[in-house]
Amino acid sequence: MASSVALFVPCYVDQFFPHVAIAALTVLERLGIKVDVPDGAACCGQPAANAGFAREGHSTLARFVDVYAPYERIIVLSGSCAVHVKQHAGEVAAHGGQTDSAGARVAERTTEFCSYLHDELGVDWIAGLGATYSGRVAVHIGCHALRGLGLARPSELQIRPFDKVRALLGAVRGLEIAELARPDECCGFGGTFAVGEPVVSTKMGRDRLRDITTHGAQAVVSTDMSCLMHLDGLARREHMGLPMYHVAEVLAGTAGSR
Amino acid sequence: MSASVPSARDAILAAVREARPPAVPRDESPASSALVARGGGGSRIDTFTAATIAAGADATVCSRDDVTRVVDAALAGARSVLSFSDLAPSRDCPPDGLRDLAALEVLVCDTTLGVAENGAVWIASSSDRLRAALFLAARVVIVVREEDLVDDLHAAYARIDVRAHPFGTFVAGPSKTADIEQSLVIGAHGPKALSMVVVRG
Amino acid sequence: MTQRSFPLPVVGVGGRIDHPAAAAAFNADVARTDWHDASLWFVREKRDRAASTVPDWEALRARASAIKEHALTHLDEYLVRFEENATQNGMQVHWARDADEHNRIVHGILAAAGARKLVKSKSMLTEECGLNPYLEARGIEVVDTDLGERIVQLRGEGPSHIVMPAIHLRKEEVGATFHDKLGTPAGLADPNALAGAAREHLRQRFLAADCTLTGVNFAIAETGGFVVCTNEGNADLGMALAPIHIASMGIEKVIPRVEDLGVFLRLLARSATGQAVTAYSTHVHGPRVGQALHVVLVDNGRTRQLAREEFWRSLKCIRCGACMNTCPIYRRSGGHSYGSTVPGPIGSVLTPGLDLDRYATLPFASTLCGSCTAVCPVKIDLDTQLFRWRQRVVENGSVSLAKRVAIDGSTRVLDRPRLFRTLGKLARVGLRILPAPLARRAAGAWGRTREAPVPPSQSFRAWYRRHRGGAA
Repeated sequence: MASSVALFVPCYVDQFFPHVAIAALTVLERLGIKVDVPDGAACCGQPAANAGFAREGHSTLARFVDVYAPYERIIVLSGSCAVHVKQHAGEVAAHGGQTDSAGARVAERTTEFCSYLHDELGVDWIAGLGATYSGRVAVHIGCHALRGLGLARPSELQIRPFDKVRALLGAVRGLEIAELARPDECCGFGGTFAVGEPVVSTKMGRDRLRDITTHGAQAVVSTDMSCLMHLDGLARREHMGLPMYHVAEVLAGTAGSR
Repeated sequence: MSASVPSARDAILAAVREARPPAVPRDESPASSALVARGGGGSRIDTFTAATIAAGADATVCSRDDVTRVVDAALAGARSVLSFSDLAPSRDCPPDGLRDLAALEVLVCDTTLGVAENGAVWIASSSDRLRAALFLAARVVIVVREEDLVDDLHAAYARIDVRAHPFGTFVAGPSKTADIEQSLVIGAHGPKALSMVVVRG
Repeated sequence: MTQRSFPLPVVGVGGRIDHPAAAAAFNADVARTDWHDASLWFVREKRDRAASTVPDWEALRARASAIKEHALTHLDEYLVRFEENATQNGMQVHWARDADEHNRIVHGILAAAGARKLVKSKSMLTEECGLNPYLEARGIEVVDTDLGERIVQLRGEGPSHIVMPAIHLRKEEVGATFHDKLGTPAGLADPNALAGAAREHLRQRFLAADCTLTGVNFAIAETGGFVVCTNEGNADLGMALAPIHIASMGIEKVIPRVEDLGVFLRLLARSATGQAVTAYSTHVHGPRVGQALHVVLVDNGRTRQLAREEFWRSLKCIRCGACMNTCPIYRRSGGHSYGSTVPGPIGSVLTPGLDLDRYATLPFASTLCGSCTAVCPVKIDLDTQLFRWRQRVVENGSVSLAKRVAIDGSTRVLDRPRLFRTLGKLARVGLRILPAPLARRAAGAWGRTREAPVPPSQSFRAWYRRHRGGAA
């Protein structure tokens, strides 16, 4: 095994947003982190599990555990996938009747990309990338990353404010952040919700886009390509001309160059 | 009913015992030590006054010497007054029936406790007349003394005895509703106005 | 009959509530949806401001949750203690296994006294039991006295929110109803004037009532008393005048001690409306002289929920409605779309337990964003329970065959890396070469309003193979 750190690229990122995974890999390599991207597990099992299909979700997650068990750190390029693995990988052994605690270990070692950069490398190290971006963006932290991983203070909670994503983007010279009326309202993707409740999903996405554009954002930066797939799909259908980037793209300097 | 048919009480209690999840013990630490509102820095009387105003009451802070004058002013021009306070006499009250109190203009009473964090005062009584008047009168005047103010509800419950009377209520401002398009309307079914007289010192 | 301004819950095949269809109907009026959403978001913001004034807010929530979990896991002891103390206080305590028994008990009390004019304050429990139609069919006049409830009662609707029953109505609609039923001038829509008209109308009912029924916010085991919180004073007008007072409560409402009220009353109004406290928090510890005071303790499925390891914590609910105010789906679909007495996130974890097939769509009316869990004053793990109910729904066979096939099919693909790569390539090529209208139709419900992602020329895996020599 070449490295003790692995990167997990979710299925839809692998297929539809490879530039995001390339940017994430680039950022990690520039920061001196040698990263494996093992083959064999395309999905973490969240879509099936959230649709109520526990058995199917578990079998997919069990495969994920098998593939990623050898690694000491598993960086997941999606907040919702990371939360799913952390909350449910420990159940995998129990489901399969095995006594092996690989699932629990994988859960514990899994982290999300922005969390990893902020918590384990530190903002100063990230600033060393010298990334620049010219313009004002709206920051959209996926709900699972926000409330499930603690990437920022959720607006409901009465605790000291903090925002790891803003801290990372603060290391990007020239980048301005637009303040939204509803700082962390859900974009409306929600996995199968997007097609199971398409009308409300669409309305939520359109309302989020309106908040974003009303407050002068010229682009959207997010921790989750699933959210952006939905928002971007809506924005392009309405010809809004609103580019959307993963945090990794901004840090890699590839935002705006596609 | 035959002895073998369980009563609803028996059936429900049996169902509860059967269903009960594993016991979660009680946290015995006193609530007030863990949860006392540390406040925004204002004095208790200022916090109370601001909170009672926020609840829709009008508030007058006065000295002991001034309180009778302030209460008289609050009652000036009122057609009928029912008083449970030594500070003002009743006059032209509707007759004895509770329902007749619907014609009452003002109720005056004292309170033995006010809560700074929410501007509420505790009114407890065995008098059905006071209880009915509290909700039927067009407006209510309540006198509260600074020494009877506490910081928050934890302190309030430590002071009051809810069993002393069959009725006790925390009153915060006049009756109100926002049920029509979230527009705040002061004076729903109960009194349309509450005047809080806060006696300093 | 006044024109309904809202869509009824949409009930599909086999009596299943169809939340997506009801939500779609609600959204047909975009302006109304925006207005409904903004009204409820405003209440959420008021809640945030109120919570921020309490320095120990998060500790208070944890405390409230712990008290409720303790109470529920000792529920039989506290119910017995409450009954003992309440009886000593001069109350008559009744037990009802289900809605029907509750209604029979209430009617029995009224009939025995020859009472026929009932004024009611807010009680979601009595909505759940269908008490009003039961009593009306037996010749009892029932007047809901909470202004919001009276409005929907006059319109022949159910409440759409547990705290703000008429939140779905514009003031013009209320004005039209009052013109029709109370004789107010046509076109009068000023909330102050309308509330004033309701005040006069309801005053007459309070004064004429020979019985009253209230809900119970909290029942105190330690002292055998109960607390009723209102802003309008309507519960009190009933209680202060009527010779018979019936208090209906779900068994989960009992709390151990008086001091616990400090915790709950500091949380309740702030969570519900953003006020520090409601105008009236009335503590009843006995009847008035000459008054008969009855308490009806109701199960109606609560012990079944208590037995559910994954869902019993939903019984901690103190009925504040904060979860509804914050839920982005509730705000954009309205309470009626849930077809359930209690709607929104809490309704979606309480109601499926009553009929899993009928309410199968409710746990899916959510993106699992977690906002509800974060505002709940008693820290119910709403998003986790919604997730778990989805699994129960699937096990119960209550999802469509199409969905089952789709998940089964996609799982097979995702578990086979080479098949996944091949199909992915096909999908990307397909998206590139299909004419846009066909691509949209192929994309189904997604494609109605959204473009599909721009298909890249190669997957990340393919790039990685080429540029990094493949997997380690």
